Amino acid sequence: MSIPAIGGIGAALTSTPPLTGPVGPSDATTTGTDFGKLLGHGLQSVQDAQTHTDQLAVQAATGDLTDVHDYMIASTQSTLMTELTVAVRNKAVEAFNDIMRMPL
Amino acid sequence: MPLDDVTMTALTSALRGLSLRQRITADNIANINTPGYQAGRVDFESALRAALNDGVTPEVAGTVGESAAPSREDGNNVNLDDESVSMIDTGLRYQLVVDAVNTKFQLLRDAIKGGGL
Amino acid sequence: MSDMFGAINSAGSGLTVYRQWLDAISDNIANINTARPTSEAAFQQRWVEAAPTGQPGEAGSGVAVSGISLGDPQGRLVYDPQNPLADKNGYVRMPDIDLGEQMVQMIMAQRAYQANLAVIDRARDAYQQALQIGRQS
Repeated sequence: MSIPAIGGIGAALTSTPPLTGPVGPSDATTTGTDFGKLLGHGLQSVQDAQTHTDQLAVQAATGDLTDVHDYMIASTQSTLMTELTVAVRNKAVEAFNDIMRMPL
Repeated sequence: MPLDDVTMTALTSALRGLSLRQRITADNIANINTPGYQAGRVDFESALRAALNDGVTPEVAGTVGESAAPSREDGNNVNLDDESVSMIDTGLRYQLVVDAVNTKFQLLRDAIKGGGL
Repeated sequence: MSDMFGAINSAGSGLTVYRQWLDAISDNIANINTARPTSEAAFQQRWVEAAPTGQPGEAGSGVAVSGISLGDPQGRLVYDPQNPLADKNGYVRMPDIDLGEQMVQMIMAQRAYQANLAVIDRARDAYQQALQIGRQS
């Protein structure tokens, strides 16, 4: 048995776009950039930087590294990128908690 | 990031090899006037490279060989200039590898501490 | 030796060559009055020949001694009848070594040795600066 009034409300609900949260790379974007996508990209580039630093560290261990500064710059970059990502994540979690605590 | 991944093992093997090289270089310099003394040479790089290329755990130790340099009349073949350069080179490389190890620990610490920034 | 600190290794090879040059020069000067009988060759001056290592067109890897060549075996015939080595005419063979020239070479070798030491010093400082990149004090 179908209730036409409820069916009408159901149609209205499905036609509104879903809310974008602080995480969730698959959410549709209603604003310019999706924060979740940004964080996802950030994590990937941190991972890449750490792998690059590891490669250079192994070269330094075997003595095949030609330029010392290449390794030092890469290691500084990956350290800073990791710290930045962690800080961004913390701020995002903090902001999310603030929003959740707001009285409705 | 586990503490016993390939990079960390390679770095600790390099530290061991480099400090062995420092000791052998000091030995060579101490024996610069000993008749018949042949200078020692440490090689860990070839074993390390081979282990990395084969995909085996790069846990290698340095091997001590003899220098092929020509000897003087008293049978001693220690070259002071080569040993001095080796000391400087090994010292700088040791600093570099220690820094690499510190960086790996720092990244792990950052992830653990998380919100402590 | 690794390529990582190439400047230090190049300068180190220079140190070896200039030290050998100084050895040869001091040997020449020590033997400047070594008399030999005329039946033998004179004491021959030693020249150290050096050649750069590494291929042309790339940053080299220093210098190495490519050989030792000897000077004139004829020497100078000097009239010295008192000398126990003198032949029946009273001549002995003295080496053809010019002390002034040897002194000039000695100064050049010493300066070159010091220059290479300075290179090692500066290069080591530069590399240590590089190792400080990103370090928090």
